[in-house]
Amino acid sequence: MTNTTSTPLTGNTKLNSPAAPLSPMALGVRRFRKHRMAMFGLGLLILLMFYISFAGLLSKGYCAPINKDVSGEAWANCNDTSLKLQPPSADHIFGTDVIGRDIFARTIYGGQISLLIGISAAIMEVILGALIGSLAAYYGGWVDSALMRFTEAMLNIPSLFLLIIGARFFGGGLPSINLLGRELTGSVIVIILIIGATSWMYLARIVRANILSLRERDFVSASRALGASDRRIILAHLLPNTTAPLIVSATLGVANAILAEAYVSFLGLGVQGATATWGNMLDGAYQYLEAAPWLWFFPGTLILLTVLGINFVGDGLRDALDPYSTRHV
Amino acid sequence: MKQKLLSLLSLLMLASMLLAACGGGAAAPTFSGTATITFVQEPDNLNPLYSSMWFSQITREFWLKGAWSFDANSQPYPELVTEIPSTSNGGISADGKTLTLKLRPDVTWSDGEAMTADDFVFTYDMVMSEKNIVNGRYPYEDFVSSVEAKDPQTVVVNFTEPFAPWLTSIFNFVLPKHVLQPVFDSEGTLDNAAWNRAPSVGVGPFVFQEWESGSHIIFKANPNWIRPPKLEQVFIRMTPDDAAQEAAIIAGDTHIGVFLSSDQIDRLEAGGDVKVVATPGGYNESWFLNVNPATAHPAMLDVNVRKAIALATDRFSIVKDLLKPDINPVNATFWDNTPGYATDSLEPYPYDPEQAKQLLDEAGWVDSNGDGTRDKDGVELILRYATTTRELRKNVQAVVQQQWAQVGIGTELINHSSDIFWNNYNDGGPQALGEYDISEYSQSPDGPPDPEASQNWLCSEIASADNPDGANWQGVCDDELDALFKQQATIADPAARLAVYRQIQQKMYDEVLYIGMWKDPDLWSINSKLQGVNLSGPTPFWNAYEWEVSE
Amino acid sequence: MTNYIIRRLAQAIPQLFIISIILFTLMQAFGDPVATLGARNPPRPEEKERLRRQLGLDQPVYMQYITWLVGNDWQKIDMDGDGVPETPGQRKGILRGDWGNSLVARRPVLEMIGERLPNTLILMITAEIVIIILSLMIGLVSALRPYSLFDNIVTGLSFIGYSMPVFWLALMLMYIFAVNFRRWGLPYLPTVGMFDPAVGKTPAEIIKHMILPLTTLAVISTAGYSRFVRSSVLEVLGQDYVRTARAKGLKAMYVVFRHALPNAALPFITLIGLDIPFLLAGAVVTERIFAWPGMGRLFLDHTERADFPMLMGILMLISIAVVIFQIITDVVYSFVDPRIRLE
Repeated sequence: MTNTTSTPLTGNTKLNSPAAPLSPMALGVRRFRKHRMAMFGLGLLILLMFYISFAGLLSKGYCAPINKDVSGEAWANCNDTSLKLQPPSADHIFGTDVIGRDIFARTIYGGQISLLIGISAAIMEVILGALIGSLAAYYGGWVDSALMRFTEAMLNIPSLFLLIIGARFFGGGLPSINLLGRELTGSVIVIILIIGATSWMYLARIVRANILSLRERDFVSASRALGASDRRIILAHLLPNTTAPLIVSATLGVANAILAEAYVSFLGLGVQGATATWGNMLDGAYQYLEAAPWLWFFPGTLILLTVLGINFVGDGLRDALDPYSTRHV
Repeated sequence: MKQKLLSLLSLLMLASMLLAACGGGAAAPTFSGTATITFVQEPDNLNPLYSSMWFSQITREFWLKGAWSFDANSQPYPELVTEIPSTSNGGISADGKTLTLKLRPDVTWSDGEAMTADDFVFTYDMVMSEKNIVNGRYPYEDFVSSVEAKDPQTVVVNFTEPFAPWLTSIFNFVLPKHVLQPVFDSEGTLDNAAWNRAPSVGVGPFVFQEWESGSHIIFKANPNWIRPPKLEQVFIRMTPDDAAQEAAIIAGDTHIGVFLSSDQIDRLEAGGDVKVVATPGGYNESWFLNVNPATAHPAMLDVNVRKAIALATDRFSIVKDLLKPDINPVNATFWDNTPGYATDSLEPYPYDPEQAKQLLDEAGWVDSNGDGTRDKDGVELILRYATTTRELRKNVQAVVQQQWAQVGIGTELINHSSDIFWNNYNDGGPQALGEYDISEYSQSPDGPPDPEASQNWLCSEIASADNPDGANWQGVCDDELDALFKQQATIADPAARLAVYRQIQQKMYDEVLYIGMWKDPDLWSINSKLQGVNLSGPTPFWNAYEWEVSE
Repeated sequence: MTNYIIRRLAQAIPQLFIISIILFTLMQAFGDPVATLGARNPPRPEEKERLRRQLGLDQPVYMQYITWLVGNDWQKIDMDGDGVPETPGQRKGILRGDWGNSLVARRPVLEMIGERLPNTLILMITAEIVIIILSLMIGLVSALRPYSLFDNIVTGLSFIGYSMPVFWLALMLMYIFAVNFRRWGLPYLPTVGMFDPAVGKTPAEIIKHMILPLTTLAVISTAGYSRFVRSSVLEVLGQDYVRTARAKGLKAMYVVFRHALPNAALPFITLIGLDIPFLLAGAVVTERIFAWPGMGRLFLDHTERADFPMLMGILMLISIAVVIFQIITDVVYSFVDPRIRLE
């Protein structure tokens, strides 16, 4: 058993661990790689990434109603109402949905949107949480009180209400955008905004608490004495020392955002138009729970595997980045 | 379940026999069984003054009958009156400005108090009182000059001008004066009356028993009604989720399910215990075309482009594959689902993409830059197709998008939640502001089975900053159409009025001011254990007194 | 202690005030309550103007807020639309105990909340107890045998529960235990509602109708809580004092229950204390699917119809509960952990 408690992640560990054979980062990587579930989760995520990217590039199909071969998103949106609700077959390996779209194609392109939503919303969550938390902690005083009262007020309001309000506020008002050759409806951005804007509060509190404990440390006082600007102290010294909770929150944030998207779809506030996401595919399958189980089985399983993979990786990261972890290395 | 119900039934039988015995041998009516109905929306208020909700309105056939109801053929059926007023029986005066109602002398309120013409006058006074924040004063405010009680059994309604839609809008409810007058006198308003929520006194085959918010409403048999019911009670359960209602219907936990959609029919009827029936509620799933020069895509102003849109849309296969063609056929006019007002000679425009292409070419919309979408004078033919967030409509959007792409029409699909979609001009309602080219939703005339729908088509109703509540969101303004709509509103003779409607429909059809998607009747599921149900469109539960529950 | 509580309550007043202003401002994002008043039969255009005036919705937002806060019985309002205020205002404002009237039901908000609250509490408190017990058991066992087969299986299952959208799980359970069990002639559960009208609202009926919604809530929430317990216990087990206790030769079970558990319980208590106020809000989706007449549905129904007095009422009630439970949690904290002193 290696006593890891003597190597706190303070960035200059060499000073207090004379015999240090490994940097904290290398130690973290090593711990992570020993974490069986985390490695399993990582493998799962790599497979899923492969599924939604390479499978999307290689695959294409024949769209009978418009009488041509299509690939990419056109394939996912190709509908033939006379082929509706077909169970999985050689032509449509995952079956077809209520208007005869190929579910295999839709899970690929829906997955891209779901992951885009998950990752973007998590990035937004981290940026907002880190910004508000660090500003509050570093400046203290009235800035701290104002920001923390606001954070508490946001926490007091049920997130469902915030989601609904957000959807009302932004809904329908944003134009479609073109990203990497794909047309995305404005509602994708709306979903990212509302999920991101309603999930940063816990992170802000964690960051604030972390920085509060760091603020009075010697290395911060030292850089302040050396005349470093506030911005530099926050960006170069304080935030990097709170990366562990940031990384873990960001990871889990992706999973939560993917689930939140399914949830808002159920309430009719999800991604609109013909754009597929795993969440709105699942919502559309809701009425066919018994009649056409293939409608929910495939997007549901993909959501499950993604969330599972992300959570396992998040667990592994938490253990790996926690200097007090007792995990055997 | 069976045994429970059986023992309950026998208990009830026993109880009613005992009651009959106590009644000194008089032939007191016996009631048995509970009919269970699921509602996907909860009534907000039971007092008709304070609720315009359909779910509140349909309960009144149990406990608060109007002067007449409508039978399964949408024909008026006398309830509180001896006969339906007409010119031949003197109920309608020769000039069409006076309506006389002859009340049935044997009708009493459920507490035994006699119902008289004073109750009708009181109802009118309460609708018009400034002290009451009522939901609607139509038509009393604009069309009625006075309501008089000539004698206890005769009510006279004086109109300001001949008023055609009286049958569906005059006295479809009456308030009990003896209960509510004291409340109004002491509180100065009926807004907070206990009766609004617990209307213990009514007039109908059942009487209100209890309402537990979010859970249920119970109506008990009313022995004082002229047509005593067979059931002991009606139990309405609030079941907000459509899929959960479906499960409850299949499991047999409810006798009547409401607000169903066509794609549910096969699944509901599969077990053999449930039958789905359709009633004409006047609604049609409709495309409203924005022809307002200020807000619409320039192509929308060209009648040939509008016609091409209709021809480029395969509504027939949509109806065949996503709905039920026998229940939801494609409709040609706005009045196809209003019994008596459909024009059979008008057929919906066929699916003919070749002709659509030709019309678009002739109109000058051609794909000059080769991007797959037609354009003219540098403007791409991309139409904004807006609707609500309902799943079926989103699916139709996706299908139509692909069909239009075939003829070179591009689409921008827009979905709004319903409370935003129908907002007025000042509150940024997307339809009122004209932020669409085609808008899809289900709409009916104002008070089906009456065909009146002027407010959606008159020039004076175009929504604007000066008229934020205007309901003509399409910006339709046609002098001829305007004159016809104004004319029909004052014709009391149904045949003459129908002739004007034929002209209106022909005009709207030729100019392609309206594109019908499908007839949208109300769908109900009825469990075979509940018998005698004969639903009608306007007043579905009109014959509730004949219902009975069997094992 | 008393001083501390009084001071915290005094601090809560400006906080609630800020929340009420934020909420009232956010409410403006909703549509026009008058436009959807009739749901399928919307009021005629000419009626909308009158209704807005009579319901006070034509007033500027700050006036509506003032009316909501302190009432309008000190002024006259214009009910008949002639431009001259003639009718004395009726509202007293929330500060004087008048929570306003629902715009759609035209009834006092507090009365309507009062009807739903017991139903929600029956369901949510039972669910919370089941969830706490289950997650403590699962979390503890998997922490004591980390990365064992049991831990891995339980972890896997809890993530499956966590990943399942509520609406999907709820309907799935309904189809299995209420629809298909009945079809197959097995003992079955009811689909929707709180009781069977043929039997009446008896405790046995309520329990029977509660099983499926309860299971749904438990499956969804136990996952998160048990992971939390697991990681707290794991963390404590790694601390020096636990190792010391073990080194002293104390029995493993004794160490766990005497030393590890009480310390691991602290963050768990915090979590529960923060979550309990939200039990009042009910479980929106679960209540909707199982037609449970609770607060979640009240909230959702009135959101759809932009009934802001009702929404303000529910949200303020939750905010007040949050503030109270924050104080209670802190007080409980000081009992559980003697190191914490409230000043």
